[in-house]
This record gives sequence, C-alpha cells and structure tokens, in this order.
Amino acid sequence: MLVLTRKSDEAIKLGDDITITVIEIKGNQVRLGIDAPTNIRIYRKELYEKIKSENIMSSLLSIDEFKKIKEALK
Amino acid sequence: MVRFETSRFGILEIDEDKIINFPDGIPGFPEIKRYILMDYKDTPLKWLQAVDNPDVAFIVAEPSIFLPDYSIKLDVAIREYLQLKKEEDLAALVIIRVEDGKVIANFQGPLLLNASLMRGVQVVIDRV
Repeated sequence: MLVLTRKSDEAIKLGDDITITVIEIKGNQVRLGIDAPTNIRIYRKELYEKIKSENIMSSLLSIDEFKKIKEALK
Repeated sequence: MVRFETSRFGILEIDEDKIINFPDGIPGFPEIKRYILMDYKDTPLKWLQAVDNPDVAFIVAEPSIFLPDYSIKLDVAIREYLQLKKEEDLAALVIIRVEDGKVIANFQGPLLLNASLMRGVQVVIDRV
C-alpha cells in the first residue's frame, strides 16, 4: 500500500481525473472532498461491503425463502 | 435474439433490447453487466436474472408495493451516470431477501434504471 502524508487543504490525484482533498482534520476524523467523473461510483467502504454481502445473500435465495417472500406479499 | 442458460428457468431466448446493462455490475457481482427482468406470475415480484451467469438471479419489486409514497432524490452524478433525460424514464426496484426468517427489502441499495436506455445502477443511500 502506498502511504502518503497530507495536511489540511492538500490533495492527492488518482490518475488525471480524480482529486481527493483533505478538507478538515478534527481529532480522529478526516473530512475529504472528492472530485471525480460521474462514471466513477464512490462509496463509504463499510456501506459498500454491507450492500455487497446483502447482494450475495439475495442471489442465493432458496425455494423456501422464495415461498416466504410470496406469502409475505399476499 | 439472445440465447442464454439459467439455473432456475432453463434456456431463455429474449430480444436484445430487453437486456438491461449495468455498466459496472452491482457490488458483489462487478463482472455481471447484463440482466433481464421477468414478471413473476400473479405477484408484484420480478426476477432480475443475470444474462452472464446462469446462477445469479434476484427477486425484486417496485418500492411502492412497500412504501406507496416512495420517491428517491437523485444526485446529478447518478442522473449523468444513467444518462437520464426524462424523469419518466426512471424506474426503481428493491432487492428482496430473507434474513433470519424475515423478509427484507433493500431500500439502502435500490436499483435505478433508465428504462429508455435500459441502463442500470445500484445506488448506495448514504445519509451522513
């Protein structure tokens, strides 16, 4: 992993199109500003991981679970 | 016509223009870019079946069957991502699953579609 040190108002660039700026540092929290093209999807990692594991779970629906969903919507 | 195999429905043959493209896939399935939507008879449910992987299919439904007043605020980035020109082209679906015996609709990760371009994305609702 590349590790860089940045101060408030300093930024890093990922390639030509993406800029991540340190907006504010307060205690153990950092506020970041991200400029990126609209085709780049940006997520908080923990939310991304949550949706990812829910998607995987959802794709493995058993017949019984499917019946349960049908029942619930009657 | 596109012909492909599915583990739940056997071999399907559909018109190319029925295919929904998810240019980045969805989280967990980034490699699957093409899906089709099939009504499930006598229910408000639909199957979202992957064209590119026979095993991957989701049960989905329109959010309004759970929340009649459902609406979603789209940011500019998503609008541009979907190349949405007209509001009426926008469709939303939620993925439904069973977890610990409970039926859950995933309102935190709705699927948004541009119905005229057949282009889709799963957004992650982040309210912080």
